Amino acid sequence: MTITPVTSGPHIELREVCKSFGSAQVLCDVTADVGHGETVCVIGPSGSGKSTLLRCVNLLSAPTSGTIRIKGEEITPTCADLNAVRTRIGMVFQSFNLFPHMNVRHNITVPLRRVLKLSKEEANGRADTLLARVGLSGLASVRPANLSGGQQQRVAIARALAMEPEIMLFDEATSALDPEMVKEVIDVMRDLADSGMTMLVVTHEIGFAREAADRVLFMDNGVLTESGTAEQMFTEPRTRRLQDFLSKVL
Amino acid sequence: MNDFIHTFFDWSQIKAVLPSLLSEGIWNTLLIASLALLLALVLGLLVAILLISPNRWVRLPGRIYVDILRGLPAILTVSLVGIGLPLAGIAPFGQSPLGYAVVAVGLISAAYIAEIFRSGIQSVAAGQAEAGRSLGMSYLQTLTLIVVPQGVRNVLPALANQFIVAVKESALVYLLGLSVGERELFFIAQQRQAVTYNSSSFTAAAMCYLLITIPLTYAVNWLDRRLRDGRDRRSVPAVLAPDPVGGEPALLSATGPAMVLDPSIEGTS
Repeated sequence: MTITPVTSGPHIELREVCKSFGSAQVLCDVTADVGHGETVCVIGPSGSGKSTLLRCVNLLSAPTSGTIRIKGEEITPTCADLNAVRTRIGMVFQSFNLFPHMNVRHNITVPLRRVLKLSKEEANGRADTLLARVGLSGLASVRPANLSGGQQQRVAIARALAMEPEIMLFDEATSALDPEMVKEVIDVMRDLADSGMTMLVVTHEIGFAREAADRVLFMDNGVLTESGTAEQMFTEPRTRRLQDFLSKVL
Repeated sequence: MNDFIHTFFDWSQIKAVLPSLLSEGIWNTLLIASLALLLALVLGLLVAILLISPNRWVRLPGRIYVDILRGLPAILTVSLVGIGLPLAGIAPFGQSPLGYAVVAVGLISAAYIAEIFRSGIQSVAAGQAEAGRSLGMSYLQTLTLIVVPQGVRNVLPALANQFIVAVKESALVYLLGLSVGERELFFIAQQRQAVTYNSSSFTAAAMCYLLITIPLTYAVNWLDRRLRDGRDRRSVPAVLAPDPVGGEPALLSATGPAMVLDPSIEGTS
């Protein structure tokens, strides 16, 4: 694990981030911080720009304007070490996105070997450690298609964690799961939050946001409409839009 | 009626030509088709990688190649390569027409195979490339380790089909004139017909082609079926058999068509 010196500034800084697809503006002047070791949940109705915001943090989507800093360093689509930046930021997707042509262990070791240039033994060792951590020891040689959704998502989390990132992004990680599988994934995420990982989590799981989030951001129509502690946001929502939203999902 | 049978099914004629068809023709046909396919696979993959580039100036040469080679009659391409090149002093294969035949058929197949690869690669869900990039893999690593292997698997039947096409197109080599020993099926039959004025040798050659192409066609169909519904069933321990919902491959549940090379996830590689 790379020791990350605790700096005084926020871990992730978003400043006036805008994103448009053609004439449709999806993000509008979003400014937010995520502190070191903080878990920040992003909630809001579908199409409000939550996922786009998350994808901007590792530049899977490039912002149209505005700046993003990781530990004070600005990242841009043209910066030379974009791949290096991405190795420091793990991402978990709604649809898992495991590589179907590789078994579980290979899914985890491919980036370790090709990007971090680990030896085969080191990579396999790390994969086995991570699989144990998400409770899937013994499934290393199985293909993703033969796992349940919850198992696939835990492998995806293990794959991201194996890179030893300093930040984890979760993009509706439980939305594609059957209800009975949501818990096993949420449990892994909660452990991770408790371990001090910096996490930015787009979620519809209000329960998770309420328990695990240090802070909550509410997005509506591409605008960061309200933010605050989970307690504050869920018990005393200030804006009308958040009140409406909560009355529908709670 | 007798004339008809005599012209096409004269057993003595068939018997006379069959030994050289089987001992010489069939192997040369398969040799030309195999080497051409090999060339076409390599060249086709390179062209396909050009075709899926987010940069239009990279796509352009690939597009031009495919449009021209698919737009020309095969017989014209074979003539240009096999007759034209040596006349222009470009004769890497000397006087032997076999090499030119392989190149000509290979160049044509490459154009079709490039399109096959392109569609296969673009059918891979966009999330796959995103996952690769999010793990810090470069554009080329993501392409070669994640996207292309899946794309190729998707189009294996179409590639096998292209081999059948190459078998048939190899007949065009007769244009280039082959010497004994390097003659393929059609050339042997055609020479025989010219001598005997009897078409039974064509019938014999036809049977030889069908001997190759019909089993191949069925093999392609079998491969297609297997890839469609037999996916990954071999290695499934029974306890891990997927439940109907959760076991759906993640790939198929990803939304939307793939834009692997969406410039927004491209960055620097």
